[in-house]
Amino acid sequence: MMAWLLLLVPLAGAAAVALAPSGRARMVALAVSTLTFLLSVVMASQFEAWAGGFGIESNAPWLTSFGVGLSIHADSVSMLLVLLTTLLMPLCILGSFTSITTREKEYYAWLLVLQAAMVGVFLARDLLFFYICFEFTLVPMFFLIAIYGGENRSRAAIKFFIYTFTGSMITLAGLVYVAWQFRETQGSWSWDIPALTAFAATGLSPGQQGWVLFALLAGFAVKVPLFPVHTWLPLAHTEAPTAGSVILAGVLLKLGTYGLYRFVLPMVPVAVVEYAPLIAVLSIVGILYAALICWVQQDIKRLIAYSSVSHLGFCVLGLFALNPLGGQGSVLYMLNHGLSTGALFFLVGMMYERYHTRDMRELGGLATVMPVWSFFMVFFVLSSVGLPGLNGFVSEFLCLVAAFAASPDAQPYPGVLGPWYAAFAGLGMIFAAMYLLIMVGKVVFGARREPDADHHHAASSLPADLTPREIGVLVPLAVLCVYLGVQPSVLMDTMEGSIADTLAAYPALVESRPDPTLEAVAEMPVEALVEADAPNFATAPGETIGGDDGDG
Amino acid sequence: MIAANAQLDLLTLGAHHATAIPIAQPTTEMGWAGWILWLPLISLIACGLCAAFRVRNKLPAWLTVGFLGSSFLVTLGLYFQYTEPVTIELFRWIDLSLGTGTDAAGFTANFSLYVDQLSLLWMLFVTGLGTLIALYASEYMESDVGAGYARFFAGVSVFLFAMSALVLGDNLLMLYLGWEGVGFASYWLIGYYYTRPSAVAAAKKAFIVNRIGDLGLALGLYLIWRTFGTIEYSELFERLGSGHHATQAGGWSVRAIPYLLMLGAFGKSAQLPLFVWLPDAMEGPTPVSALIHAATMVTAGVYLLARMFPFLALDAAAAPTVAWIGALTALVAATIGMAQYDIKRIMAYSTVSQLGYMFLGIGVLTTFGAAYHVFTHAFFKAVLFLTCGAIMHGFAGQLDLRKLSGLRQLPGWRITSYTMLYGCLCLVGFPYVTSGFFSKDAIMAQAFISGSTGLGLIALVTALLTAYYTFRVWFRVCAGPVKYELGDDHHGPDDGEGHGDHGDQHGHGEPHAPRLAINLVLVLITTGAFLAIFLKPWAREMVMGSTARNAEPHSEGHGFWQDPHKWMPVVASITTIVGIAIAWHFHLANRKAADALRSRLLANPATAWLPVAMENKWYFDEIYHGLIRLPLWIVGHALAFLDRYLVDLVIVDGIARVPRWVGRAFQPLQNGILQSYAVSMAGGVGLVALLVLYMPQVIKLLEGWLGGGGGG
Amino acid sequence: MTPLLALSDPLTPVALAHFLITSGGLFVIGLVGFLTRRNMIVMFLCTELMFQAAALAMIAFGAYHLDPSGQVFVIFILTVAAAEAALALGLVVFLYRRRETLSAEAWSELHE
Repeated sequence: MMAWLLLLVPLAGAAAVALAPSGRARMVALAVSTLTFLLSVVMASQFEAWAGGFGIESNAPWLTSFGVGLSIHADSVSMLLVLLTTLLMPLCILGSFTSITTREKEYYAWLLVLQAAMVGVFLARDLLFFYICFEFTLVPMFFLIAIYGGENRSRAAIKFFIYTFTGSMITLAGLVYVAWQFRETQGSWSWDIPALTAFAATGLSPGQQGWVLFALLAGFAVKVPLFPVHTWLPLAHTEAPTAGSVILAGVLLKLGTYGLYRFVLPMVPVAVVEYAPLIAVLSIVGILYAALICWVQQDIKRLIAYSSVSHLGFCVLGLFALNPLGGQGSVLYMLNHGLSTGALFFLVGMMYERYHTRDMRELGGLATVMPVWSFFMVFFVLSSVGLPGLNGFVSEFLCLVAAFAASPDAQPYPGVLGPWYAAFAGLGMIFAAMYLLIMVGKVVFGARREPDADHHHAASSLPADLTPREIGVLVPLAVLCVYLGVQPSVLMDTMEGSIADTLAAYPALVESRPDPTLEAVAEMPVEALVEADAPNFATAPGETIGGDDGDG
Repeated sequence: MIAANAQLDLLTLGAHHATAIPIAQPTTEMGWAGWILWLPLISLIACGLCAAFRVRNKLPAWLTVGFLGSSFLVTLGLYFQYTEPVTIELFRWIDLSLGTGTDAAGFTANFSLYVDQLSLLWMLFVTGLGTLIALYASEYMESDVGAGYARFFAGVSVFLFAMSALVLGDNLLMLYLGWEGVGFASYWLIGYYYTRPSAVAAAKKAFIVNRIGDLGLALGLYLIWRTFGTIEYSELFERLGSGHHATQAGGWSVRAIPYLLMLGAFGKSAQLPLFVWLPDAMEGPTPVSALIHAATMVTAGVYLLARMFPFLALDAAAAPTVAWIGALTALVAATIGMAQYDIKRIMAYSTVSQLGYMFLGIGVLTTFGAAYHVFTHAFFKAVLFLTCGAIMHGFAGQLDLRKLSGLRQLPGWRITSYTMLYGCLCLVGFPYVTSGFFSKDAIMAQAFISGSTGLGLIALVTALLTAYYTFRVWFRVCAGPVKYELGDDHHGPDDGEGHGDHGDQHGHGEPHAPRLAINLVLVLITTGAFLAIFLKPWAREMVMGSTARNAEPHSEGHGFWQDPHKWMPVVASITTIVGIAIAWHFHLANRKAADALRSRLLANPATAWLPVAMENKWYFDEIYHGLIRLPLWIVGHALAFLDRYLVDLVIVDGIARVPRWVGRAFQPLQNGILQSYAVSMAGGVGLVALLVLYMPQVIKLLEGWLGGGGGG
Repeated sequence: MTPLLALSDPLTPVALAHFLITSGGLFVIGLVGFLTRRNMIVMFLCTELMFQAAALAMIAFGAYHLDPSGQVFVIFILTVAAAEAALALGLVVFLYRRRETLSAEAWSELHE
């Protein structure tokens, strides 16, 4: 039951923020989000399913006649992503103290609502609950961009909303189709994700799985974002306020990859085996395409936004390598990208507050003016480049090695990719070094170059270099970057079980290519997906619409 | 090309080794060896604290020297404790298992040390020279005390940590960690003078070019893991030696392994075609050039190939490729070095050239020769760079050999001049009194035996050129009449805070001679370079006791002229002395002759290209710019344009416009006039009423259409 | 039961059909008036006419079926219509003050 607090506390906090005196709003928000973080840490320490399977199950009946319940659960992957969310939120709030000066209460209330929605996505066990949370993240984000964003904010907000919303409508159609098929064959409605997953993996024909795959991809690929449906991201990132960008890069993009992990991989394995090369090619094109675009950007924030497209290509590539190396690398990538890219957005925001420009041509040699800022900038750039010893390296490396080893003859996890995929994606490593170091070379190093002197310090009372508050935002992220670089096994041990469960069907499926048979799928351990004590609103007699109306 | 019998030796090498060389066993007792890595890390943290608390004295230097010295002592302790190869696990890093049961596999790369004689050989000179050069830097960098001083020593500490991880790591991923780590340290230190755009550009270039090689190494690593199922050395050698099925199966994926490793090695060790970053790396402070870009980091490629030497047997053409790349790099770099005027750059090209010799040694299967040359080169090249640095330090950044002369007669410059002389003698391989002579001869002679005459001749010609350009520097700078111009450059950033304190030492028209720390280090390392002569048997023993061991092919004949090992000392000595004599003629006895020769070459259209091309480094930078960087840059711009205007504006926004167009089509209906709405409402009601009234007829009509359509 | 449309017999007292025809006539007058006139007050009166047409039909059907709910509805409609009339006339006065005209065409901002 404690898990519900992770949703309710931020919601209640949002109300409290709205009611608080306006001077106090940010402190209330900070307190609430810190409390949520502490709660999530306590929850994680008591989490029973680190070794595999699902934990913290909790169900509340909702629309029982329709098979819908407010039910939550978490496997280790969702638990880690929840921790990432709850960690980033207090930092976002702390980082917004000086940058948000108008309509403060609304701002912090929206952030807390957003947090509740994001946690809901990761914890949802009911499909409709998942989808409601998934879509509801758009609303706070829309307002955060549209009210507090840059010059072009309304266009960015509308584009962000409509683009991702259009994609996820198609995803909804795919998910509802699965549920409808479930009712057609099982005779009753169920929206229980594990039940639907187990049903879809074995109960849908390869053709149906293909359609479902593309429907799911429509929403999740936009969210990730995968080439070529990434164009909302640079705009939204550039225009969003700092905390918005951090949350967008840190968590909202992960909703897409989490969707791929939670739905696409286990639900439509036959189609995944068939189309994994296509998706991998798209990710690789995205990696190189976005990296080359980064190279010629002049706006630092836009550069980092495009680098997200490039980075998440690795993440998707790792997932579709269909082996545990890739799965664990990919999940680790989600966390690492949230930490290092989130920190980069913070840094850009801190600089923007001082200079009111993000144009590399107007900035240079900031190392002499802002040594502490420069230290953190270089640090997180190196983390982003994938310097061994920092967090980015391990995950990037694992994704690449997974893609490399995902050839059909590999044992015990054959895949449908191969060395060439890794070789091309590996070029992204070189490009990443290029564009990020060129940026650092221009902005941090070189001759000192600042925009008009009256800009500096004029608009804000901020000192030249970072304040203790700002350092306090960055230090936790930096510490985690080092820790995860040195001790990645702490996290990787926890996800081992969940990822092995998710990928259990694939070796047999890949072996049975090129004509995958459903028998091969049938060997997958359905028990791993459906818990024995799963709440089954669907089969309760006399409660279902499907059961009664099916014949009429 | 390499003779067939030599190749056969190599192919059986793996199997031979597994039996002859004890495979490293894990041990739990020697955890203290981890301090070799931890001490530089502590030093890094200490320097970081010094920077954070703005320490304004030489504390960071003393801390660093202390910690690195302790690291050297621990290495020595490890060396004396050493009995057989061991692996020491420090902590779990990446340890994944895949599947269960019979076909279970795993990806294990722990933070463990692999201690054998090869890694010890490398570690001894890495930590030893690292300590000495840090000591040298304590004086060299003193103008930056309080400003970048702590940052500099933090970089040195990072470098030593990464280099130790590279050399001591017990698996390829640890090596990769160190590999990228030293690349990063090099980025950090080359870009030390970060307000100077050329330094920033050089740092970036070094990192990026290295990354190209790193990609090769990473792909090689993946391929090794995929083929052999492990990346831990002890298991790798065991599987290779026991005739792992993959080695028999062959196939491109196995044969590609040595080439990918080579790509990594060539990137890090600045060989063709990736050598362009090293000369630019001289933008860093000179101690860095000495430590990283001459003595230690750039030999990492040699270490990689020596460590993975048995894997060169996986493809027949691998070793010859290494040999030819090495020989050609040696020659090309030497020709560029001949035509430069910046003494530090000349030393950089000579480093590239000497690294070429080392790869030639690996390629002609004398790992001993290569490793020994690495060892001697580390000392004498460090001396050369440190003397260059002392000159640069003393003459306010003056490095142009045309503007310096007769230093050995200046008071206070005697030690610098003569240690430099000894360094030069080592570099050219002056017969019998220098360690360079023995290490280079071992490689050149072997080139004639297991390589080809062509390789050997290239090596000899390069030796001649080396002798010429090395003594060109010494005769110009240290000999001849006393004459100098001070440079206009100060150390450190122009607006550096520390500058004011020591500004009085610079720029007054008087060079300031090196003091105790610099001179002490110069003498110590020169002594080391000399003593290395006597370490030849020891080095051979160290290499032959490790997995890099191999039976060097012998020449067929035993007469003087049939065995290159017998005639090489004589021929090489003559070559060297001829080279020195030419340098003496042009640059000491008759300095005008050199310029005259140059202008004569320029005057003749047939030869005019030669000095121009050599002075412009054979246009490698321009070629890379034109062939790689520029096209990619253009593609980047094109993609950015397409992304913004085609993908986003035309396609995405175009789709988004469809609903709006549809809306436009119905817009006239929305005229805002109340009654027109009412008309349409009434009309609609009427239509519905009609539909209800005539429902049976409508249904019949529809059925007719549908039925007709189905029938048709 | 009396036939629904028993107009043929002139001696029969007023039948349901008479009410419905009257109601239909009223409704058409109201509708045509609403569609053709520009004066907002007249248009409003026309809507009232249509209301009354509907009310008349309800009373007729209520009486025919002996069901009082027809009358109940009509009372409801009357009260609501009275309230509406107050509101609508108030709006009209308000609109007139803004534009100095009673024409409905003066208010067409809703078009795209």
